[in-house]
Amino acid sequence: MSTVESRTRIGAGVNRVDGPRKVTGTAPYPMDFSVPGQAYGALVQSTVAAGRIVRMHTEAAEAAPGVITVLTHENAPKVGTGPTTVLGAAPPPPLRNDRILHHGQHIAFVVADTPEQATAAARLVRADYEATEPLLDLQDPRAEQLVDPWGMDTSRGDAAAALKSAEVTLQATYTTADNTNNPLGLFATLAAWEGDALTVHDTSQWPSMVRTTLAMVFGIPESSVRVLVPYVGGGFGAGLRVWPHVILTAMAARMIKRPVKLVLTRPQMFTSIGHRPSGVQWLGVGATRDGELVALDHRSLSSLSMEDNDYEPFTWASSFAYRCPDVITQDRQARLNIAVPTSMRAPAEAQGNFALESALDELAHQLRIDPVELRLRNHADVDPRNGLPWSGKALRECYEVGAQRFGWSDRNPEPRSMRDGNWLVGYGMASALFPYFAQPCAAQATVRRDGSALVRSAAADIGTGTYTVMAQLAAEELGLPLDQVRFDLGDSDMPHSMMAGGSGLTGALGNAVHDACRRLLRQFAELAHDDADSPLRGFPPDDMECTDGRIHPTGRPDLGEPYADILARHGLTELTANGNSTPPVPTELGMSLSGAYGAKFVEVRVDADLGLIRVARVVSAIDGGRILNEKTARSQIIGGTVGGIGMTLLEDTATDPRTGRIANGTFADYLVAVNSDIPDLDVVFVGEPDRGTATGTKGVGEVGLVGIAAAIANAVHHATGKRIRDLPITLDALL
Amino acid sequence: MTRVTNASRRDTDDLPAVIERVVTLTVNGRPHTLRLDTRVTLLDALRDRLGLTGTKKGCDQGACGACTVHLDGRRVLACLTLAAQAEGRDVTTIEGVSGTDGHPHPVQQAFMEHDGFQCGFCTPGQIMSAMALMAEGRTGSDEEIREFMSGNLCRCGAYPNIVAAIREAAARGGHDARL
Repeated sequence: MSTVESRTRIGAGVNRVDGPRKVTGTAPYPMDFSVPGQAYGALVQSTVAAGRIVRMHTEAAEAAPGVITVLTHENAPKVGTGPTTVLGAAPPPPLRNDRILHHGQHIAFVVADTPEQATAAARLVRADYEATEPLLDLQDPRAEQLVDPWGMDTSRGDAAAALKSAEVTLQATYTTADNTNNPLGLFATLAAWEGDALTVHDTSQWPSMVRTTLAMVFGIPESSVRVLVPYVGGGFGAGLRVWPHVILTAMAARMIKRPVKLVLTRPQMFTSIGHRPSGVQWLGVGATRDGELVALDHRSLSSLSMEDNDYEPFTWASSFAYRCPDVITQDRQARLNIAVPTSMRAPAEAQGNFALESALDELAHQLRIDPVELRLRNHADVDPRNGLPWSGKALRECYEVGAQRFGWSDRNPEPRSMRDGNWLVGYGMASALFPYFAQPCAAQATVRRDGSALVRSAAADIGTGTYTVMAQLAAEELGLPLDQVRFDLGDSDMPHSMMAGGSGLTGALGNAVHDACRRLLRQFAELAHDDADSPLRGFPPDDMECTDGRIHPTGRPDLGEPYADILARHGLTELTANGNSTPPVPTELGMSLSGAYGAKFVEVRVDADLGLIRVARVVSAIDGGRILNEKTARSQIIGGTVGGIGMTLLEDTATDPRTGRIANGTFADYLVAVNSDIPDLDVVFVGEPDRGTATGTKGVGEVGLVGIAAAIANAVHHATGKRIRDLPITLDALL
Repeated sequence: MTRVTNASRRDTDDLPAVIERVVTLTVNGRPHTLRLDTRVTLLDALRDRLGLTGTKKGCDQGACGACTVHLDGRRVLACLTLAAQAEGRDVTTIEGVSGTDGHPHPVQQAFMEHDGFQCGFCTPGQIMSAMALMAEGRTGSDEEIREFMSGNLCRCGAYPNIVAAIREAAARGGHDARL
């Protein structure tokens, strides 16, 4: 069993190390790269949602100024398919055949000398279709349903019998809309071949997987593919897959023997890189009159495209969120003629938590029990699935600290009882969790003759602060000042990294950096062990630590010497060590990995006449385990909160029910939260370093979003007396 | 000067000829003379022709603010401005706002101190807007800052930190501030 080593619980909120590049516009994002002689691609997308292509008309485009080639399913080379990952099967490669599975499917790729020429020529490509009626309604009985697609359905006890005999029951149905990830950075790919070697700049949250995928697709060794992603203009899940347009760009570059660059348009960002799928959820809750949960029945149906996989076990977390003896959770997915859904910030939890935490608020209201008190009465002190203790869970503290900071005790429990002029005031709260997630990860640490350190991994920093927090962590492990440590990432030639996703990277990469630094320290200690000139001579190499750039026996800083001295005496320019991490196994730990927890408290104001909803303030009390950098971690939580406010009040990807066309695929039509939608957001971190891993972090990228939807919906109920079970909550629902 | 290339096409209805024009752009105080397809936006001219990639393309439809630059000292969306429209006017981009001594502008410094960004993609546009906000006299309150910064989307959700950064930079003397 790992034990937590002594360390600060909350790391210094130093400024981002990449800040100077970001504020001066010198940080290079994928769309910013160009190479001499590059051609430009433009996508042509289908204008029907189902059927087949009868004929492509490409002559006009081919004859247009500057056009080099037009790829369609008729002339595109056959390529392989990427690997199946934790997210499911790879998206099928583009231009395979004449079948149309959704509106906006790529049907041609125009390559020209300039972007203007490519864009103009793409408009000249026409297709004749044999269109069929698309399946677009989630509850269309003709749609194929996948039952338990992830093997994650759960059942314990007898939920049906417990529901039947419960003193109090509640049945409710909740719906959530399609949302689109919409990172600000348009996705871009620049592909250049030299013989059979491929270099790609690509918008990705997982450079190592882009490399593996492109190697499989083009049948070349992984060592022949290099993927460069020093900066990513946001992802929120959209960059976790290797999408067809990436393959198209590399395919075209290989065919015309010139580098090709593609930048997606904003409307194409709605159909080409995933979205959060819509869903319907059915909740059955049984309780005693004292509010003790005795039965929970949580089922979901969410939308899925015709051929792809999407990881969205909406209901899974309901099996361990609370102590409850009889629980059943089931997820289904319906195959529709829609663009492929994918993970979007807090996948599954964003939706599942909305239903569960809304239902608990309904129960609290029904039983006249305070919503915080109801949750405390059902707190899962141990993992209810297996009885194991949690590796770290400060949810009780989240409730206590959050409620105190918010002033929850001022709440009059009666709906419509609080008012400020024409504003109906509502207080709402919800619990949040995001389950622990990690994948194998590697890092390499080097200390050089000048005493500085370079640490590397093929990770992506999508804005979470990976550059900064990993440099901080390595500086701590190596006993160096932060300005003596550089952390490099975003290059698939570096040691393999897991995805920047699922709130997993900081923990997994942090543990790999920890391992690499420990091994490096040991190498120095071993060199010094038999060195007559070293003050470390004879000391056990396993018992060393570092302070102020000097390596010394634990607790004896007076006996230390600098790394540079050891390197110099041995005629070395540098020493390097590789480190790894693998996800911990609960049965070996004797603990369940708890992931991040939080309690969200929200005040809304609803215009009594117009139904206008404003979020007035939010308090997020978060147990994120050890926090490496308070400033960047806080930014993760406020960012998640902003995303949650958007999901709850604004975001709704509208698909035309007849044609399957996305009707609001622009930033003018698809509303995301803007500055004036967001009040000051209060964030407080509680809890202790997680006991499950060496670095003790839990990851805070998702938990900031989880719970916001339910807390707002619950506050809207408190303000107005109206229970809204469908997202987004728009003013028409309150009139 | 206007030049028509590829004028003889077999299907001239569907194939608009490429019209080019020579344009002189003054960017960050330096003149640049370019021969441009008249369809080229100021944004693409800056990025693709002058290599000034600090100005970002987030939507190309005037809805996100990532391409905000100053034209004669006022903020405009470079994606909705044709390059030819900028002829004879002063264009300032994020590359032109740091001090001549290489020190960041006070607004840039405040963004770093307050973590007013995450992925950083919208940041050049946010900073160009924030600087203009001070010149416009729209930094009197947090509410005013929020309202007049609402043309610049930040999908990472750094808004409260952006407001804090602008509040501080403004409190220290507006657009002439030196932190």
